[in-house]
Amino acid sequence: MLKLIQNEWMKLWSKKATWIMASLLIIILLANAGITKWIESTSPAPEMAWQEMEEMNLMSAQDQLQNPDIGSAQQDYYEGQAAIAEYRLANDAEPFKVESLQQQMLDGHMMLSLVTLFTVIVGAGIVASEFSQGTIKMLLTRPVKRWKILTSKYITTMLFALLFAILTFISIALFSWIFFGVGDGAFLVWNGSEVVEGSYWAEALKLSALSLASTWMIGTFAFMLGTVFRSSSLAIGVSIFLMFVGVQLVFLLQRFEIVKYYLFTHTDLTQFYTGFMPIPDITMAMSLIVLTVYFLVFMVISYWTFSKRDVTA
Amino acid sequence: MSNEKIVEIRKLSKTIGKKQIIKNLNLDLHKGEITGFLGPNGAGKTTTIRMMVGLMKPTQGDILIGGKSIRTDFEGSIEKVGVIVENPEMYKFMSGYKNLVHFARMHKGVTKARIDEVIQQVGMQNRIKEKVGSYSLGMRQRLGLAQALLNNPEFLILDEPTNGLDPAGIREFRMYLRKVARENDVAIFVSSHLLSEIELLCDRIAIIQNGELIDIKNVNEHQQSRYYIEAKPAEQAKQVLEEIGFTVHPHENGYLIDTEPEHIPGAIKLLTAAGVDLYAVQPHRTTLEDQFLEMTGGGEIAQAHTK
Repeated sequence: MLKLIQNEWMKLWSKKATWIMASLLIIILLANAGITKWIESTSPAPEMAWQEMEEMNLMSAQDQLQNPDIGSAQQDYYEGQAAIAEYRLANDAEPFKVESLQQQMLDGHMMLSLVTLFTVIVGAGIVASEFSQGTIKMLLTRPVKRWKILTSKYITTMLFALLFAILTFISIALFSWIFFGVGDGAFLVWNGSEVVEGSYWAEALKLSALSLASTWMIGTFAFMLGTVFRSSSLAIGVSIFLMFVGVQLVFLLQRFEIVKYYLFTHTDLTQFYTGFMPIPDITMAMSLIVLTVYFLVFMVISYWTFSKRDVTA
Repeated sequence: MSNEKIVEIRKLSKTIGKKQIIKNLNLDLHKGEITGFLGPNGAGKTTTIRMMVGLMKPTQGDILIGGKSIRTDFEGSIEKVGVIVENPEMYKFMSGYKNLVHFARMHKGVTKARIDEVIQQVGMQNRIKEKVGSYSLGMRQRLGLAQALLNNPEFLILDEPTNGLDPAGIREFRMYLRKVARENDVAIFVSSHLLSEIELLCDRIAIIQNGELIDIKNVNEHQQSRYYIEAKPAEQAKQVLEEIGFTVHPHENGYLIDTEPEHIPGAIKLLTAAGVDLYAVQPHRTTLEDQFLEMTGGGEIAQAHTK
């Protein structure tokens, strides 16, 4: 199996497109940091002191807590936000500025949608391209069972996603360190009873890891489409379309029970830690179960079609 | 040539949709023997070959390679098989060498030394580090052969291997296959629509039509010695020949007689004595093409070509 993955990895990085994607990722992150820096340096001094901001945060958190529709994850979140804001005001503990290494790292997980995009391209093409190049017949006439070949391709796609996620993480750290440096302030967390100082690195890593669930699901979906339809363009198109529209559909389906079993209600696992939950009464455990079920369905369809198919191309 | 069976095709059938493409096909292939696989377009050659290498699944029946079933022990049966299916498509964005490394990793026990040895064998040492995208068709065919030989196969399957090769390339390829069959005792199964090619290359020919095996014959099987005689006046010549005791078949502008060479001088003397003018006396060999068309019915091919 290791040799098969080695093969897939070699093929992947022998393609120019892969190197272009890696360069593009770094260029976009560099540009993002650069633009943030530029906006900061050209805009006038902030209109509000951080104390005013924190007061607003406190008020909005308290408002949210009055809302009877929020779920328990949101309840916890806003209680924490309110407590942290009160603590900051009482103890004169300044929050991170947006233009600081710390805040950039904490927001870094949002950049992982870029990784999803590239993973979709790789996952959609990794099987489909063998068919379009005609190399599939060279690949399947070896003493290796088909499911092993498919597994090596799937693992390679996921390794690619992981590598790009790490690359994103490191790039953001490096570029924001260069452009903004380490800012003042402390990272505070609410542990349920009191506000304590936490590690922003650990928090950034946690949010990034949770964001990868969405990369994993959409990547797997693209992989399945590429395997079933043998056309990478179709698979890329449909996956990227769903990536954008799928989340919007959550709002349309909001009033129906079925939304709780809908994939995109659950793809964003960071929602349990960022307070923004379109469907408040879901839990992390429920999301993990739904995602696992979708994953198994995608896998069964991929393996079934790939192992049974007669290759006539 | 040993007569050990390496491949056994048993009651092989394939149905796609409602159409039965392959009907109950039985065939044995032996070590050291080159078997040609002939048939008009659409007869089921490619389907049969794809089933033999695991690209398609048989609807019924089985294929045993080295005694192992392709259905129940795919990895075991295909272990010692080398395959070239039509044009060998390689990864164009990688060098020839990387392509070989790629395929070598999929077999057990193919060492780096073996890869280099195969590169030598097909004479590609100078360009193996270049990208496959820059290769000519002939080079790609050679690389295709190299990848098929990596695992020291006991059985080589080639589907239309000489497609796109120039005459020198075809000749080289043929010599090479003969050498492999003889020296390594490899069984080779070649499908082709080039009849002359098959005739020159193969020891044995299997002919398929409409999914059924209609004949298996050895190429150098002793043929009835025949002579073609063209003479005028034709009627008189026929009469003389029949008087001698030959069976006379009209053929083109003259006649064909079934006889051994030693009777020819006598026949010529008698014909001249009878005042017949001889224009041609020559041994007549039916070519494979004639036999093939005779067996499959020329119309079938003509039809296939007009599609």
